[in-house]
Amino acid sequence: MPSTRKWEPGSVNSAIDLRNVHWKAGRTFELHDVSLRVPMGSIYGFLGPNGAGKTTTIRTFMGMIEPDAGRIEVLGRPVPARMKSILARVGYVPERPHVYPALTVAEQVRLHSSFFKLWDGGWARELTERLQLDPDQKIARMSKGETGKLLLLLALSQRPDLLVLDEPTDGLDPVVRRDVLGAVLDYVSEARATVFISSHLVHELERICDWVGVMDHGRVVAELPMQQFKSGIKRLRVADAPEALGNDAPFTLLSRQRDHAASPDNGSGSTETWIVRGWEPPMRYYVEGVGATLRDIIDLDLEEGFVELLRSSRPQPQNGS
Amino acid sequence: MYQPMLYLHWKQIRVGLIPFVIASFGLPLMAIDGVGAPPGADGTMLGAYHFIASVQPWLIFFPVLAGAIGAMLALSAWNWDHRHDHVYALSLPVTRWEYVTLKMGAGASLATLPAAALWLGAHMAAASITLPVGLHAYPNQLALRFLLAILLSYAVLFAMAAGTIRTTLWVVSIAAGLVVFGAVATDLLGGFYDLFDRTNVVLVALQWLTRAPGPFEVFTGNWSLIDV
Repeated sequence: MPSTRKWEPGSVNSAIDLRNVHWKAGRTFELHDVSLRVPMGSIYGFLGPNGAGKTTTIRTFMGMIEPDAGRIEVLGRPVPARMKSILARVGYVPERPHVYPALTVAEQVRLHSSFFKLWDGGWARELTERLQLDPDQKIARMSKGETGKLLLLLALSQRPDLLVLDEPTDGLDPVVRRDVLGAVLDYVSEARATVFISSHLVHELERICDWVGVMDHGRVVAELPMQQFKSGIKRLRVADAPEALGNDAPFTLLSRQRDHAASPDNGSGSTETWIVRGWEPPMRYYVEGVGATLRDIIDLDLEEGFVELLRSSRPQPQNGS
Repeated sequence: MYQPMLYLHWKQIRVGLIPFVIASFGLPLMAIDGVGAPPGADGTMLGAYHFIASVQPWLIFFPVLAGAIGAMLALSAWNWDHRHDHVYALSLPVTRWEYVTLKMGAGASLATLPAAALWLGAHMAAASITLPVGLHAYPNQLALRFLLAILLSYAVLFAMAAGTIRTTLWVVSIAAGLVVFGAVATDLLGGFYDLFDRTNVVLVALQWLTRAPGPFEVFTGNWSLIDV
């Protein structure tokens, strides 16, 4: 369910602003009405299962593919009209390494630096040491982890205002993953840059992100502050629940399931498990107001919340609860 | 930006290019190896004829080599980018035209290496023989024609390789379609008009392309190192 915030062209409060973007690739895949707003200075986690459309969405605002409909602004400038000036301020780590295997690390750095006016050579050297990269090593002979570190080095040494990382730690070992994320966090704290990080590794984003967007089947199914996402998704155990909730429910009921085992403390009515989003403590009065009894409130971790969110956004089988 | 791009292209193709550079250097030397007039005919028309005739079989290799070098330069220019959906190029703060120009310029610069090798080989070949009266060596012209042929082959294939496979298929299909259409049209119209009965449209088009001042004349023109 895309958010319904008002479109404000040219707003520099958003590092990335996608509005009703639609793109279709043959019969196999489609971006449906994608709207996203990445606040300036935030670390925005873009979650979704494999094939959800995360990379395609990134490619739309990086100007690599032209959407069929919708409006896009990055750093307050329209895409693709101002792409050249946008890309001068965006560091990009793609999903698949794209650096040239014929070059060495130092040669690739020299090639890349020639395109960026703000290139920080001193910091590039510092990062080379910190990430333990050998400048004379040929890229063709580098491991996946080393290539990942090189891509990050290239992106960070541009001194970008916006860092776009597409599955940057996918397939990396825990040590390299920590190095990569550490370098990103250091840069963000120093330069106050915005980071857009796409991943399907939920725990990884939980630690570092302050905003989260969730994508599934080419649709954005949620976009909210991480704290709200983490604290607002609860599993409720409810007794004597009514058949349906009214439209005035102050939370979003993601799923409900009748508990098959008899409740030992409730001989008269059945109990259900509800997964709700946007939960706040005073909402218990609403539940009681509809005649139900709230027996338990259980916090979900981000991964559970993510799974429940995806489950609720997909078509439900008719014989369910 | 140009220098690192040139270096990148060089690193990508040097293993493939070096044999071509050696071949370009060696071809003029091989062409005149063992040529000469029959004993006693050095200063005669017969001597000149024998000289030119003995070089003649080698001349086809010059445009073929130039075409192959141009193709190698063009295809290697885009190979890696195609395999990675051009993501690297598209993430750089340059317009697509700027990037294409840089890449094309780098390849064109590298085309001078085999041309320079051929120029050197042609000069050495010319210096190593005594020419019959009335014949002259044209190493500079040969090297220039060789360079132009490489650049032409490179430019055509670079443009085709720069597009998607779909675009390339379109171009090839249209060209093939025009050839078929020309042949069919000639056949059909030949029954009604004498002009088409005597003229093959496809042949005329090919001749227009490959004869002066056609764009591909450089391949079919005079490739002689030794001439009158």
